[in-house]
Amino acid sequence: MQRVKVKICGITTLQDALAALDAGADLLGFNFYPPSPRYIAPATCAELVRTLRAHGARAVMVGVFVNRPPAEVAAVLDECGLDLAQLSGDEPAEDLALLGTRAFKALRPQDADQAVALAAAYARRAAAPVLLADAAAGAGRFGGTGQVGDWAAAAALAAAWPILLAGGLRPDNVAAAIAAVHPWGVDVASGVESAPGRKDPEKMRAFVTAANGQNSYLTADASRFTSDVSRFTPHPSRLPTKFGAFGGQFVPETLMPALAELETAYLACREDTAFQAELGELLRTYVGRPTPLTHARRLTAHAAGAQIYLKREDLAHSGAHKINNALGQALLAKRLGKRRVIAETGAGQHGVATATACALLGLECVVYMGTVDMARQQPNVQRMRLLGATVQPVDSGTRTLKDAVNEAIRDWVTNVRDTHYLLGSALGPHPYPTIVRDFQAVIGAEARMQIMAQAGRLPDVCMACVGGGSNAIGLFHAFRNDPGVRLLGVEAGGAGIASGRHAARFADVRLGRPGVLHGTYTYVLQDADGQIAATHSISAGLDYAAVGPEHAWLRQIGRAEYTVATDDEALTAFQLLARTEGILPALESAHAVAAAMRLAPTLGGDQVILVNLSGRGDKDLDTVLKTLDGKPTWD
Amino acid sequence: MGLEQIAAAFAAARNQNRAALMPYYTLGYPDALTAIAVLQAIAAAGADLIELGIPFSDPLADGPTIQRSTQIALEQGITVAGCLALTDRLRRAGVSQPMLLMGYVNPILAYGPTRFAADAAAAGADGLIIPDLPLEEADEIAAACAAHGLALVYLAAPTTADERLAWLAAATTGFLYLVSVTGVTGVRAGLPADLAAFIGRARRVARTPLAVGFGIATPAQAHAVSQLADGVIVGSALINAVTNATEPVAAAHALVRDLRAAVSRPSISHFGASRV
Repeated sequence: MQRVKVKICGITTLQDALAALDAGADLLGFNFYPPSPRYIAPATCAELVRTLRAHGARAVMVGVFVNRPPAEVAAVLDECGLDLAQLSGDEPAEDLALLGTRAFKALRPQDADQAVALAAAYARRAAAPVLLADAAAGAGRFGGTGQVGDWAAAAALAAAWPILLAGGLRPDNVAAAIAAVHPWGVDVASGVESAPGRKDPEKMRAFVTAANGQNSYLTADASRFTSDVSRFTPHPSRLPTKFGAFGGQFVPETLMPALAELETAYLACREDTAFQAELGELLRTYVGRPTPLTHARRLTAHAAGAQIYLKREDLAHSGAHKINNALGQALLAKRLGKRRVIAETGAGQHGVATATACALLGLECVVYMGTVDMARQQPNVQRMRLLGATVQPVDSGTRTLKDAVNEAIRDWVTNVRDTHYLLGSALGPHPYPTIVRDFQAVIGAEARMQIMAQAGRLPDVCMACVGGGSNAIGLFHAFRNDPGVRLLGVEAGGAGIASGRHAARFADVRLGRPGVLHGTYTYVLQDADGQIAATHSISAGLDYAAVGPEHAWLRQIGRAEYTVATDDEALTAFQLLARTEGILPALESAHAVAAAMRLAPTLGGDQVILVNLSGRGDKDLDTVLKTLDGKPTWD
Repeated sequence: MGLEQIAAAFAAARNQNRAALMPYYTLGYPDALTAIAVLQAIAAAGADLIELGIPFSDPLADGPTIQRSTQIALEQGITVAGCLALTDRLRRAGVSQPMLLMGYVNPILAYGPTRFAADAAAAGADGLIIPDLPLEEADEIAAACAAHGLALVYLAAPTTADERLAWLAAATTGFLYLVSVTGVTGVRAGLPADLAAFIGRARRVARTPLAVGFGIATPAQAHAVSQLADGVIVGSALINAVTNATEPVAAAHALVRDLRAAVSRPSISHFGASRV
């Protein structure tokens, strides 16, 4: 037995939204179907939802869509900060699959038999609401007709699933409807309006009172769809947990509360001007932001094609973009009251950035590092120790970054109550991919303004290397809504795709398949049996078996493209940039430069390529000199 | 099979006034043949249910002992299909206890959740335990398990708040797996101080039996937990016993026998007698 949930649909103004919440609505619906009198533009909705959340609104926010592609639905959910999509058109079941747990289907069954048949295809979520049952409507009509539905058909659905009942509900018939159908919740739009699209506070209050007076005995299988524990009670997630089908939270249960706590704290900090001011001050006066944008003229001349600009993250304090995220999260850790910070590192750049931020803010710091990586990145091991961090050698598995992450997660599971896990890339369980992206988005925000000032136009292509992909997503984010800007990520091609010795999750169609590593569903290099594959790259920072989930999503919807550069190409680019521009890039960043050198000659001299130079190359001198054996290959 | 078998195993233990004993063992460790012999010994020594570990390259909920056992099993060439074949072989060899497959989510996704559930059920498994699959992500696998009569056991941890605990308790099937400590699997010297309170919180919302695992190694620890919970899970200690013994099968048998003896509760009549 539980209280019946109320969804008030067709909210168009802040006034109506506040009145609906005041009346006791559990869910608010926003209609994105332009012909509807209750249509709201996504931009308006986004602002409205932001305001409601800032006022502490805990209601579940639902976007109503009619026959829009899943990619667009997901983008609108993200843009507006909505929890769920209601698909009210003739969408195929595959659309629901693509949206994962973020969507449910509205059905308009003619009778009970058809209802059950439709539900078999569309009941996908394991949490309420699984479906919405509306009144039958003629072809081309998508609900909102104000007609009362077939309650027997709806009851057939409610017997199996927690459903929202819609269709012609009003304050004076909702009690009878609940008694007849036993739904999980009821949905109302025109029944609480004084005129089409205009909500009436009195009617909303009367409706909620009438609905709340009824107790619905859920007849749906309690073991699967639990009546008293809807998905909304534990932690209403206020950030989308997924990018399309990618992302999510595949972690031991022990960590789930910590992830929810992190999300709550992060959201508070994001809205908190004092926090943003403190971080902004540190980025300016400590990190040295904004980092410059350099027009690489001699490199451009060498490539004989498009103009190449370099975003100089190598000039950020501690030598790479990693510090942007490390400082942001370290401040967040202090907000969470956690005195101990742990991190993983591959090349050592994230470890150094974390150790730096912890030294600055007075936090205890432990960095997990594979023993293979410790051997090849000795200078960074020493830097971390000098900065006061404990470097914890990891001797399990392949003894590289992947195993360092495993060990960091094990530490976090054990010490979660007083420890913050400062994850270094746009990877791992939600909310990390979002948090890391947001802290790195300063790269693209600066670069976009700088390129407009220096080149007088947007770039044709933005390029960045992609290991986990934090520097790339940080650059891409500011350009995501510029349709004329190509976004191009560069994976580590290692010894070549055919060799199998690489870290190219997208390029290797045999080993690179969607799967779960370290808490996130994304493209992962794995064998046929789902065991994670060993990877190889000359750059330790790209030597990782999974890619950030947002990259997987951007690639799936066609917004970003991905290519590879091999070890040899990166080495050549490293030397080339040193001789033409006087810059020693990190081997990671050299991958992006290498791909830019391939692309530039195919473009005109009036076109612009913006390359994120994510870090400096001092840490790689040993590797480079050993590989070249004292004989530069560029000449 | 499946849910009924699991319920019956807990009920039988309860009728004997004791907790159910559920040993964990890694399939394929140290090799397939030894694993089969060890598991038969575990069954013969009085296990009420058996948890079979499917090796994964990156077992992030496991401590060093189980990590090492799964790594060795993988080096020996064990696969997911091989694990199902071993399960089938145990059934054919007469192991009658409910068997639950414990594996990480990626190998199951790679195998295909629907196909995996079908093949696991056909091989004689009764349920799945997936430590990196929280309820939020479980839709597809839960549906596959339901379709093939398999239990899908959720885990709850000491950090789980009451509201979420109620949610997990309502959604789990077979039993609720209580992780005794904030941490990974592995032998520990003592039981956590807050264990009784945690089990009490779970008891208030439970609709299924409660089984406690992680960090339970000795008969004394098993005995202490058996006074509070419906089931006791022991893993790393058993792997250690096999690893350190010259006669692994005999060592496993002896440990399980001792654990089984330890999970009984004082009888009511005994209490009554002592009071008189």
